[in-house]
Amino acid sequence: MKTFLYFLLFMFLAVVVILLAVLLGDQGAWYFAWLVGTAMIVLISAASAALLDTQEEHAAGQVAGGARKPL
Amino acid sequence: MIDGTVVDLSRIQFASTVLYHFLFVPLTLGLSFLLAAMETVYVTTGKPIYKEMAQFWGKLFMINFALGVATGLTMEFQFGTNWSFYSSFVGDIFGAPLAIEGLMAFFMESTFVGLMIFGWERLSKGQHLAVTWLVALASNLSALWILVANSFMQDPKGAVFDPTTLRMQLSSFQQLIFSPDAQSKFVHTSIAGYVTAAVFVAGISAFYMLKKRHMELAKRSFRMAALYGVMATIGVITLGDALGFVAAQAQPTKLAAMEGLWKSEPAPMSFNLIAFPDQAKQENAGAVRIPYLLSLLVTHSIDGTVAGVNTLEQEATRKIENGIPAVQALRTLSKDPKDAAALAQFNAHEKDLGYGFLVQRYAPDLNNVTPAQVQQAARDTIPPVAWVFWSFRAMVGFGLLMLAFFVLAVLYTLRNKVQDKRWFLIAAVWMIPVPFLANECGWLVAELGRQPWTVFGVLPTWMSASTHSVGYMVFSLIGFVGLYSIFIAVEMVLMVRAIRQGPEAHHGGGDARPRPRPALAPRPVPAAAHDTNLEG
Repeated sequence: MKTFLYFLLFMFLAVVVILLAVLLGDQGAWYFAWLVGTAMIVLISAASAALLDTQEEHAAGQVAGGARKPL
Repeated sequence: MIDGTVVDLSRIQFASTVLYHFLFVPLTLGLSFLLAAMETVYVTTGKPIYKEMAQFWGKLFMINFALGVATGLTMEFQFGTNWSFYSSFVGDIFGAPLAIEGLMAFFMESTFVGLMIFGWERLSKGQHLAVTWLVALASNLSALWILVANSFMQDPKGAVFDPTTLRMQLSSFQQLIFSPDAQSKFVHTSIAGYVTAAVFVAGISAFYMLKKRHMELAKRSFRMAALYGVMATIGVITLGDALGFVAAQAQPTKLAAMEGLWKSEPAPMSFNLIAFPDQAKQENAGAVRIPYLLSLLVTHSIDGTVAGVNTLEQEATRKIENGIPAVQALRTLSKDPKDAAALAQFNAHEKDLGYGFLVQRYAPDLNNVTPAQVQQAARDTIPPVAWVFWSFRAMVGFGLLMLAFFVLAVLYTLRNKVQDKRWFLIAAVWMIPVPFLANECGWLVAELGRQPWTVFGVLPTWMSASTHSVGYMVFSLIGFVGLYSIFIAVEMVLMVRAIRQGPEAHHGGGDARPRPRPALAPRPVPAAAHDTNLEG
């Protein structure tokens, strides 16, 4: 039941996004570009932090193993 | 006729209010989405350092937000107090987006800001993340509506003038919010805010790295700000080009001023990299020119041309001559709205009504307008070229400087070496004022470039002000400047104090490791409590 409710929620969101894209793409292409671009900027910035965690864990593992390589 | 000094003082007062306000706004716009990015990482990875980051930068966000609201409030009231004719003339159109902006800022944004700050212990992780995203969205939506209102002043779309009510009326809300100027201005301004926040966060993080304090928080904040900043800077430059392209269509006089283009030239046009414009002589001194570049920049074609000041003044002369009968008809209609001949005359010349208003400044009696007066009014249609020219170059120069900074920042941080580049960390701290200066220059280009109009081509600035006395304007101007200077000082003191304290005083200290809790000394239990417990 929970999965079904999540499915409905995500389907609803998908339909809203498609409608928004169609309407904004036609009338306000720059607004649509802002929505997509902002989401992309935020997510890439967030992913870069996760990458730093991985780099540090990797470097710490190599130091512990005695073989440090430049990242 | 309104005293010219009162008009100038009204302009200075509004300009100083907006320049102060615009120091706070871009940081709010950009930092809100950066907070959302930090909290997204916290929720997805569960690492407490990201919660500390969101809380620490959230505190700086709050200081900035509070002072931004305080300075924004008076700005909206000034439309009524100092620009009463403007408010009456275009209030039907301007009022709607301004009201929606108020609703966004003071209802949606402020409500969610409260939940974001006080909800850390009361909301679930997911709920709090949703609230932070909504703060970011509401901040930017509030900016959207004020920029829609501003864009109407730059390129009046979706409105018609009603000669019977002597006011402009909204004809299409859709045209108003989807006008090319509104769209390109919103995306350019919003993303300029992202750049501002990225430089701010990178600069303060660099300060911590230089001091070897809160290293885990600083490295992660710097990394996120660098990636956020490089993409935003690329975006803001691209969108600035789009905005310039739109301005070339809607406001050719602004474009001519931005480029210091006194005379129309055949294609391919050269770009004035450096020049010292002389408005009286209508020529540039000491110009350094790059061949072909202007055609490419403003028309995206090597064969494209744009009009110079000489051509635009000739066009303005024709429009003024055509606009004079419209104003004459309007005077008749203001006495007798049913006068069919006056209405027909108005409809025939309505397109250039604003240009007719423009010449009234020099010729109150429109039945005896001399060619010299028309020429003088036509010269007024050109904005202050040197100011616009240099503000534009400063903005672009700062933008390119920030692009270079972020490209280096990304290179260093992706190698996880930025903490070792002492010279770069010092440069990052010195970069903090740069986006704020770029924003102010951008605002000067937009608003000085619109002169002599409050609503481009429709309502001249000299007609728009209220009929205050010079004494009242000087008194209130000194009051505003004094008050806002205090606000800026308060912001600086609070920010510097919060930055010096860092996250340590409030949270885990930004070191990503759980800190040992100080051992609590056993408290003496009052005898009465023992008794109560024993009895219970």
